[in-house]
Amino acid sequence: MSISGGGGGGGGVGRGMSWCSTTSVSSSGKRIQKEMSEFGADPPEDCSAGPKGDNLYQWIAAIIGPSGSPYEGGIFFLDITFPSDYPFQPPKVMFKTRIYHCNVDLEGNISLDILKDSWRPTLTISKVLVAIQSMFTEPDPYNPAVPNVAHSYLEDRAKHDEIASEWTMRFAR
Amino acid sequence: MATEQSQTPQNHKSTPKPIESETNGEPIFSPRFRSVAAMAGWDEEALLLASLIVEDTPERESKQRKRPDLPFKTPPPSSRRKRRVKRANPSPIPSVVLDLDEEGTNSGQEKKRGEEESCTISTDAEATAVSSSSVPALPCIDRLREELSCAICLEICYEPSTTPCGHSFCKKCLKSAADKCGKRCPKCRQLIGNGRSCTVNTVLWNTIQLLFPQEIEARKASARDMKSCEAEERESPRDHSYNVRSRSVRPAMLISRDVNTRRRRNLPSQDEDAAYAMRLQREEFMDVFRGTQEQVGISSVSLARANLRAMASRANSLRIRNRHL
Repeated sequence: MSISGGGGGGGGVGRGMSWCSTTSVSSSGKRIQKEMSEFGADPPEDCSAGPKGDNLYQWIAAIIGPSGSPYEGGIFFLDITFPSDYPFQPPKVMFKTRIYHCNVDLEGNISLDILKDSWRPTLTISKVLVAIQSMFTEPDPYNPAVPNVAHSYLEDRAKHDEIASEWTMRFAR
Repeated sequence: MATEQSQTPQNHKSTPKPIESETNGEPIFSPRFRSVAAMAGWDEEALLLASLIVEDTPERESKQRKRPDLPFKTPPPSSRRKRRVKRANPSPIPSVVLDLDEEGTNSGQEKKRGEEESCTISTDAEATAVSSSSVPALPCIDRLREELSCAICLEICYEPSTTPCGHSFCKKCLKSAADKCGKRCPKCRQLIGNGRSCTVNTVLWNTIQLLFPQEIEARKASARDMKSCEAEERESPRDHSYNVRSRSVRPAMLISRDVNTRRRRNLPSQDEDAAYAMRLQREEFMDVFRGTQEQVGISSVSLARANLRAMASRANSLRIRNRHL
């Protein structure tokens, strides 16, 4: 848990200009603001997200476990950190809530291609959250963050689902 | 339109105040325009710049008046704003037309108009609907807005550039995407050519300017601000190198080119100009001095050089004098 906080420092300070000045915001700041208002106007189902505090580059998000999955009934919190050259670099997204999932490791790191190599500047945080949401129902065991869980998902799906739903009850309620 | 045509030139002399402000070196803008500009976040420098632009493009303004409904090229900001205000106002405030004709006579109404303007500007978000008044009855304006937005900055495409795979982005956004994350289309990740050579899709750009004049104007203004900032930043290191170089004999071509680039950017302050002229003169003097000291026969090359230099400095001082008048 403590490790996850470390990534936050870098966001938003470009060319000695502080991000919080309201008159001249950097292009990344403008874009994030735009995303924020668009997200507020039309949020994806069962998702919410917004800045943690004053810092536009530090967001917190929540996803409700989709029904029909072993994560049903859980609320999963995520930390989002935007880099200062967002959207040209992907945001850092970390699970704050523990989850039994082959694509999320114990520290909350997510192995999701669009958050790494397949990132495109046209993706938005809303699309990222939808992708994470679909990860709940369709894990990708061939690109795992936790090989053990991936293995159990492939070999013994029933047991995997049981543990996942147990973790959901324990950590995500 | 008739009222407007007669109104545009009035902007400049509508109130008795401009005479006062002439002493500030900005005779062009009525106080009302300045207040609007202030609301739009223009600082003094931006105003000065705008005044330069207005001064430099009298023809364009007249053209603009002939066909005022085609907001293509950068019009003088003042008339554009006026037009917009006028366009946006009629429905909420019916007395506007009257107001326009009587303006300049009565400061009470002036104030009222100021408020109206602030209204239209502060409700820019609602003006989305109002802005469609320029393109009357376009019910799909919101969809168009979405369609014509740049997926990188999420704003209306500014100088859109289209990739070989058919996706359009702001030229600037596409460039930074190519710089920062490789030569792939930001949307479909197809390999594209060098993003540096991207050209503006003119049809799309003109369409966007027709559909969203307000947004484009706002971005033009901010781009102008940015440019002036960058120019200032660039100014100081350049001067440095200049000093170093001026000690050695500089080829005349370089100087004249410098003058040209300055003129193109058209935003050096008067002080800088004066300093520049001084340096040129000093250089000239040094040249002559060196020539007499060494008693070297003056070759035709150095003569031509000196001539050119003198011409450059004369042009410069002329320009400065014009600026002062």
